[in-house]
Amino acid sequence: MTDSLLQHLTPEEIELWAQGLCPATRDAHLAQCAECRTIAERERKLIRELAQLTRFAPEFGFVERVMAQVKIPTPSGPHLRPHTDA
Amino acid sequence: MAWAKQGREAAFRELVRRYERPIFSLLYRMVRDRALAEDLAQETFIKVLNAIGSYNPQFKFSSWIFKIANNAAIDHLRKRELETLSLDGSPHATTPDEMTATAPQLGDRGETPLQELEARELGGAIEHAIARLRPEYRTCILLRHVEGHSYEDIARILDLPLGTVKTYIHRARNELRGYLEDRRE
Repeated sequence: MTDSLLQHLTPEEIELWAQGLCPATRDAHLAQCAECRTIAERERKLIRELAQLTRFAPEFGFVERVMAQVKIPTPSGPHLRPHTDA
Repeated sequence: MAWAKQGREAAFRELVRRYERPIFSLLYRMVRDRALAEDLAQETFIKVLNAIGSYNPQFKFSSWIFKIANNAAIDHLRKRELETLSLDGSPHATTPDEMTATAPQLGDRGETPLQELEARELGGAIEHAIARLRPEYRTCILLRHVEGHSYEDIARILDLPLGTVKTYIHRARNELRGYLEDRRE
């Protein structure tokens, strides 16, 4: 038996497996090791849950509020853009 | 000249639009207060755009902006930790009356619409579990698994050795699983 078949998966390899990126040689270990399989399944569930978290949006008008305080560089030097509510 | 200025302004707007959600989401999950997260996000964008002339293109733009946002969140959390009153009241209180007068009043305020929104948005089991992580672990896990940054990028954003980032992420996932299992039992 080769080392890669006997060795348990590292946390990084488990993460790769959860993303479908684990090399085939390590897949072979996973197929025969119940301990690694249990850990890997739990990790995959958590990683998926995290990846599905909502991307929250700031309040409407955020871009305008930022732009009102940004100095727009011009050849004659930076200046503040006059504030407009869009 | 006016066209040149307009071009720059359009590019700035595009950058804010592209990053407003990821930056705001990271900050919101770090400080768990919508209004404050928005202030910190605004501060981040203003800092970045006003310093765009000093941006080094060898560094990924996303790493740069996340670094500034994370620093803003960490600075705030440190400050808040120092300012937090204990449940016994101000540390300067010397008599029982002073302690009572300066102690935070729990349960005496109704929820504002904003607080209700925060409770809805951050009330799920996974959000609670993330909130229980220490700030360094929280940033690492959010950057890795919510924003999809590489370990190397996270090391650059947080100014940490790569090995430390790997350890933090591994520990953070273990803690998260533990918190979630506790809740489900």
